[in-house]
Amino acid sequence: MTNAMEIYQMLPKTNCKKCGKTSCMAFAVALMTRELTPDACLPLKEEPKYKDSYEKISSLFKPSEGATETGLIVHEDLCFGCGNCVVACPVNVANDPYGVGSGNAPKNTSKLILAIEEGIVKARNVDECRRFGKNKILCNGCIVTCPVEAIEFV
Amino acid sequence: MENNYHVCTGCSLLCDDIEVEYGTETINKIYTACRVGVAHMKESKEKVTFLVDNKPVDEEKALSETVKILKNAKNPLIFGLGASTNEAQKQAIELGKKINATIDDSSSFCFGSVVEALVTNKIKTCTLEDVRNKGDVIIFWGSNPADSHPRHLSKHSYFPRGSEKQRGWEEERTAIAIDIRKSHTAKICGNYFIQIPQGGDVELIDALISGLSGKLPKTSYNYPPKKILELANILKGAKFGIIFVGPGLIYSLENLAPLFRLMQALNEKSNFHLVPMVGNCNMRGFNENLFTETGYVNSVKFENGIVKHGSEYSIVESLKAKTVDAALIIGSDPFSSLPRSIAKSLLEIPIISMGPSETLTTKKAKVHINTAISGVESGGSAIRMDGTLVSFKPIVETKNPLEEYILKRIMEAL
Amino acid sequence: MDFGSFLAAPEIKVKVVTYRDIFQDKAMIENLFGDEYKHISAVITLDSADLKQLNVKKGDTVILKNSFGRVVVRAEESGYEPSHRGIAYMPKSSWSNMLVSDETCGKGIPRFQDISLTVTSAKGEKVTELEF
Ligand code: SF4
Ligand code: SF4
Ligand code: SF4
Ligand code: SF4
Repeated sequence: MTNAMEIYQMLPKTNCKKCGKTSCMAFAVALMTRELTPDACLPLKEEPKYKDSYEKISSLFKPSEGATETGLIVHEDLCFGCGNCVVACPVNVANDPYGVGSGNAPKNTSKLILAIEEGIVKARNVDECRRFGKNKILCNGCIVTCPVEAIEFV
Repeated sequence: MENNYHVCTGCSLLCDDIEVEYGTETINKIYTACRVGVAHMKESKEKVTFLVDNKPVDEEKALSETVKILKNAKNPLIFGLGASTNEAQKQAIELGKKINATIDDSSSFCFGSVVEALVTNKIKTCTLEDVRNKGDVIIFWGSNPADSHPRHLSKHSYFPRGSEKQRGWEEERTAIAIDIRKSHTAKICGNYFIQIPQGGDVELIDALISGLSGKLPKTSYNYPPKKILELANILKGAKFGIIFVGPGLIYSLENLAPLFRLMQALNEKSNFHLVPMVGNCNMRGFNENLFTETGYVNSVKFENGIVKHGSEYSIVESLKAKTVDAALIIGSDPFSSLPRSIAKSLLEIPIISMGPSETLTTKKAKVHINTAISGVESGGSAIRMDGTLVSFKPIVETKNPLEEYILKRIMEAL
Repeated sequence: MDFGSFLAAPEIKVKVVTYRDIFQDKAMIENLFGDEYKHISAVITLDSADLKQLNVKKGDTVILKNSFGRVVVRAEESGYEPSHRGIAYMPKSSWSNMLVSDETCGKGIPRFQDISLTVTSAKGEKVTELEF
């Protein structure tokens, strides 16, 4: 989807530091990592000439508010509810080997990251995800198994 | 929890691990089913039950019209039943005998010949549980389960841990897609996607057979021989291989001989099974039930106790030759699913339709009866794509009558 | 001078590959006669070069024609599929079935995977309604 450079292009590019970052580029990175929200750039938010950019950037970062603080986004409108990600996620397998790990309905839901509700994948317990925390690795189990890139990390 | 699992009849996977949370009146939430399954389970709604000429009537009127049409017909066609329970299918076959009907389902233009080869043990097959527990080389040939059977890969064929597959799909399974278009399934298979030109299946089969015995595989479309050899080697090394055949492969074969050749060559070198990607929840059941009754899986004509069989009794040829003079269509929409150039013959004969939803066929029917949705509003049993019998209970209540009940009443009224 | 207006709209010949789509199946279950089903079903996906040759933008309607029928559907541009000039993709539906031959060689099997047709711009004509 978006990268920091694309976000940067939409920012005022004045490096005024009002957001608390040393430059607009640094602010773009802070947006990507969810450290700050678009509202922290006051010129962007308040000056009419940036209105379009502000709305665009705000909409880009909206889904994450509903999703997770770790940057895992589910594009619900794309999801098939196929469960490939649910069954392939190593954390799911470790915590529920005979339920989702074996392709079945969950037997132990307490630590699952991904599960299917109403035909759409729902993410929770994302702090368990291998992409985060002290021992993080670049896991992509839920990305390469998806037919439509419905899960994304930003 | 475990005792509360429901079966989804949204496709022929018949997933048996669906949890349903009820609200005060309707279903509140459905867990584990895919998007299609959820739509299917929530399809149930209040409907007018009996229609004649698209106007509401009572049960007696609808039945008397039905009986009139069937009595006047010399060769009525009974068609559909792919989404009906085994119980309703058996009842429909009995009715067919009684009225000297031609009886067929959409397998006559799809998987009929494959299912026949399976029920007569001409091809080695296995269950989906076997695939989950043992499968190591999985081929989707002309099939696209990601769209047609969404939980196929996650519940059975690729991603789950199985009794002999504990280390996971990345290490222990290879999934291969062969198709003329890069489908969603092909996308998941990544580098193991073989894209062939339309109609190129038989040549690839023969090239693979050459490859299996170490000969240089050739195709008129110059598929890189190295890649075919690579593929042949993977197949050779399979301990438990499965080919999931889809309509894409079936439509490009004149007959099943190339498939038999391939299965034989594979089983000389390794261990391969075949499972058809049957679409509707109980199409395979129709084939098996008719086979038990008549020795044929589809395209049958009853005539005073004798059974005739052949393509001329398939829906397509019956309509083209205009040999049928009335149609009882059960849970199917041939006006949508057949080529228009063929379906138009149906306009010339009276139609009785039964089924849970409004379709082009119900709109053209003289009599239409809104029946309960199998597996959602009615219980019963069905046969999964791999031949496994699955029983189910209704998920919601309905006032709509069961197909079985209507078929019984028609029998009595005749 | 605008020579374009003297020329017939460009026409291309394509072979059609039909496929199944999960969102189409879902929409069909919910309402066969609804807008969602029509939106997903009455569509042909063309290679971007073919679209260009037709002088058609994605989302515009096009006329599909052969000796078995004529339908108007929406044109779409392919996404992740590798380039496929001369081959077009259509979800299997009533619309694609209007263009299938009645030839079966007596075997009862229509040639669902053998559809050849011409495509031209429909110049704004509406998508064919689902009726019989
Ligand atoms: S406040 Fe906005 S304009 Fe100023 S440095 Fe930060 S991002 Fe750039
Ligand atoms: S990145 Fe890995 S651990 Fe995290 S949700 Fe996806 S599959 Fe699970
Ligand atoms: S996110 Fe992707 S893999 Fe997971 S259920 Fe949805 S479509 Fe399937
Ligand atoms: S895969 Fe088929 S049976 Fe399973 S939940 Fe989806 S529609 Fe239902």
